[in-house]
Amino acid sequence: MSKPTDLVQGTLDLLILKVIALEPMHGWAIAIRIRQMSNSVLQVGQGSLYPALHKLEHQGWITAEWGESDNGRRAKYYSLTREGRRALAHESAQWERLSTAISSIVTA
Amino acid sequence: MRLVKQLHLRMRALFRGGRVEEEMDEEIRYHLDRQIEANLAAGMTPEDARLAALREFGGVDQRREECRDARGVSLIESALQDITYALRSLRKSPGFTAIAVFSLALGIGANTTIFSFVNAVLLRPLPYPESQRLITLREQPSDSSTTVAVHPLNFLEWHSRSHSFEALALVQVIPTNLLGSDGADQITVAQTTADLFKSFGVTPAIGRFFTERETRPGGPPVAVLSHACWQRRFGSDPGVLGRRLELSDGYLTVIGIAPPGLRLGLAEPDAYVPLAIDPANPGAIGSRSFQCYGRLKPGVTVDAARAEMSVIAAQLARQYPLDEGYGVSVSTLHDYLVMEGRPALRLLMAVVAMVLVIACVNLAGLLMARGLGRRPELALRTSLGATRFRLVRQLVIESLVLSALGGATGLGVAWWATRGLASLTGGALAIGATEPIRVDGTCLLFTVGVSALTAIAFGLIPAWQASRVDPQAALGERTRGGTADRRHHRLRGALVTAEVALAVVLLVGAGLLLRTFSSLTGVRLGFEPAGTITMRLFLGDRDAEYRIGVVDRILQRVEAVPGVEAASTIQFLPLSGMNCGTGVWLDGQPVGDANHALPTDCSLISRGYFKAMGIPVLQGRGFDAHDRIGSPRVVVVNQSFARQYFRDGRALGQRITVAGPGQQAAEIIGIAGDVRHNGLAVDPVPTVFLLHAQTPGYITSLVIRATRDPSALAPSIRRAIQEVDRTQAVAGIRTMEEYLGESLARPRLYAALVAGFAVLALTLAMLGVYGLIAYLVTQRTHEIGIRMALGAERGRIFRDMFQQGALLSVAGLATGVVVALVLARLTSSLLYGVTSRDPLTYAAATLGLLLMALIATAVPARRASRVDPMTALRYE
Repeated sequence: MSKPTDLVQGTLDLLILKVIALEPMHGWAIAIRIRQMSNSVLQVGQGSLYPALHKLEHQGWITAEWGESDNGRRAKYYSLTREGRRALAHESAQWERLSTAISSIVTA
Repeated sequence: MRLVKQLHLRMRALFRGGRVEEEMDEEIRYHLDRQIEANLAAGMTPEDARLAALREFGGVDQRREECRDARGVSLIESALQDITYALRSLRKSPGFTAIAVFSLALGIGANTTIFSFVNAVLLRPLPYPESQRLITLREQPSDSSTTVAVHPLNFLEWHSRSHSFEALALVQVIPTNLLGSDGADQITVAQTTADLFKSFGVTPAIGRFFTERETRPGGPPVAVLSHACWQRRFGSDPGVLGRRLELSDGYLTVIGIAPPGLRLGLAEPDAYVPLAIDPANPGAIGSRSFQCYGRLKPGVTVDAARAEMSVIAAQLARQYPLDEGYGVSVSTLHDYLVMEGRPALRLLMAVVAMVLVIACVNLAGLLMARGLGRRPELALRTSLGATRFRLVRQLVIESLVLSALGGATGLGVAWWATRGLASLTGGALAIGATEPIRVDGTCLLFTVGVSALTAIAFGLIPAWQASRVDPQAALGERTRGGTADRRHHRLRGALVTAEVALAVVLLVGAGLLLRTFSSLTGVRLGFEPAGTITMRLFLGDRDAEYRIGVVDRILQRVEAVPGVEAASTIQFLPLSGMNCGTGVWLDGQPVGDANHALPTDCSLISRGYFKAMGIPVLQGRGFDAHDRIGSPRVVVVNQSFARQYFRDGRALGQRITVAGPGQQAAEIIGIAGDVRHNGLAVDPVPTVFLLHAQTPGYITSLVIRATRDPSALAPSIRRAIQEVDRTQAVAGIRTMEEYLGESLARPRLYAALVAGFAVLALTLAMLGVYGLIAYLVTQRTHEIGIRMALGAERGRIFRDMFQQGALLSVAGLATGVVVALVLARLTSSLLYGVTSRDPLTYAAATLGLLLMALIATAVPARRASRVDPMTALRYE
């Protein structure tokens, strides 16, 4: 039950929130989308994806619904709650601050 | 909103766990299928595509577990799982489970049983409103640790000077003859001042209590019946109010019924009547022979009242010669009532706690051995992703399940044992209890608490140790004797040492109490209890002539009953818990000067007492029929009196004056042998015997020596007395052997209980020693085989194994003796005829335990020495 470090964990949460802010998505699609959007730089450990999803659902930031997927099978679709949207805004701002700070040091 | 949603998720997870699991499986399966599809599309073979997808995902089970954790219900869910698992694994080893549950049931059962007594006596408040404000005042002689009853003069002074109390009442319980349709019955009557009910915070169930006016001298003869008496004698008839009760010396008019359960001391009197104190001469109604109850004002503490009363006592001591050297003792009524029973209950509670600790230590040992045996299982679970916390939790839950089973069984044991012990021991164990002893809610709570505590006590260490597994080493383990094993052995050794030490302590305790009991049975009573029967008489508030005459006629009539060898009376029977202390002036001393009075006990007897009681008259003579009210005053003294107050004990023919009403000088006509009047453990004190026929009392007890079974004579003696006087009731018909038995009941009970628990402790401790050595032997069979194959002698092997057990036992013994020496001092108030350092007891306990321990060691050690090398090497 090795947990990712806080930074990675937090980052993954942010990525998930961002990705499903556009449209409800199931787990596999979320993993693929993160890889695509980051131009294959970010590879989500598939193992850590599901615990993170369950945690976010439990926190009330996302909600899940069963629906039919593009290949005609039942899949679990995750979407943002209102609370999740607020959290996304907050987390994005946090990330913005952090990355600016880090890059200003690194590129200085 | 969010909370509701969250709760919904949790509940769904908990109660519809199956569905949630299915959904999770489906979600993961969907993911894997999509990945496999993607892999196939990338040109992998089907087999490679599947494996790659699984590899990328990581362990499916592990992910599932993480998801469960993320959902947060897992704690409850997995606890339920653990319980199921624990039950299954306990069912798989029924022998272990049976031993564990059995020893826990004994340990917890013993604790709950004793606790139910502690609860009833020491913890449960008295059944009166705001009973913590209820207090009792007693007088405290400065040269004594025990308190004495209250003088009426002091009561009046306390009442007028103190400000701490809302109410104060003075009470004396006396017998009275109540006349009924079928002869006379002796009832107990509490004479009391007006504020008794106010002190207890109660009001009459029916009618009213008497007023302050009615308690003045010359007031009307009114009475409030106790609830029990009202039920028993009058069938709870409310029409009893206003009725007149005929007494042998007057009548009483019923004005009220007391509420149920009102007790003075520990007994419910039959009726309450006014106690009139004449302020001009308070001593006229008696001296220090009254009880004083009171109620603190709200907000006043016992300490505050104590401080106020000590100031008042100091003032009184300066003002009245009577109060010189006396203080006041203030205690809550509850504290006062349980004072006598408290030390024994505390001791027993400590004893059963030790038994429980031993049982727990034993179980810890068993669990540790079991933990070692389960190492491969635990290692497997670790390698499958279980955390150490999870393993510890599972093992602790297993011990919780065990202790819950043990606790439930123990509760059954306690329920049964409490009833048994309460009825078998009468009041001997529950001194001070105002309500029946039973296993109530508090006891239930106690049992649950103790069970949980034991589970943690005996479960945590083994669980922690067992969970410290290195999967690789454990799974691949084929050789024994690693560091984990050594640590394990050291810890178990320490546990066994502790267990032996506790057993020694309990054995010593039991030994001391047994020695006490045997000293008490061996005590020289000074009288011959066998063949005597006794009964109490209340002669009524009549003139001296009548009281002398009636006793004379009763004795003559009773002596004529066939089977009666001798008959006499004494005011307070030996060992009945009653005595009368006074002062005496020797010839030539200033009679009446309290400073020169020598302290003495005083017994008021009739002619023939020494013969009836079997007390030797050592010099001179006892009283006879010629000693009458008109003849010269005579007294008999006991040996202690003669020895302490006269040179060379030459008391015969000397003249003394005994303080008391109508005191006058009297000649000592005889010296009688010493008697243990005030208790088996109390040495005889100087005592002077006065003659009822010269200074008659109001109450007395018949003592009858019979030529055959004395109890069979009771009815004919009773008839004989009623023939003399129809209004004369008798009460408390008992043989002297019954009084003796009662005096021995408590020491016998303590000795029996502690000895029983000690035997239990010893058995458990020996099982512990045996278990450890037997375990070591099994563990080392392989090693022993090798050593034998290499030429080690059997004797050598035996010695090696034996030595380990012997060392542990000796260490335990030494520790135990030291602990016992310290603790035994606390029991000294319960000991008699033996010191808390009695060498014989210690030697016997040590040797006995050593012997048992050596046997417990020798058996498995011998098995070690008989190991067949060939079998041993093939072992495993």
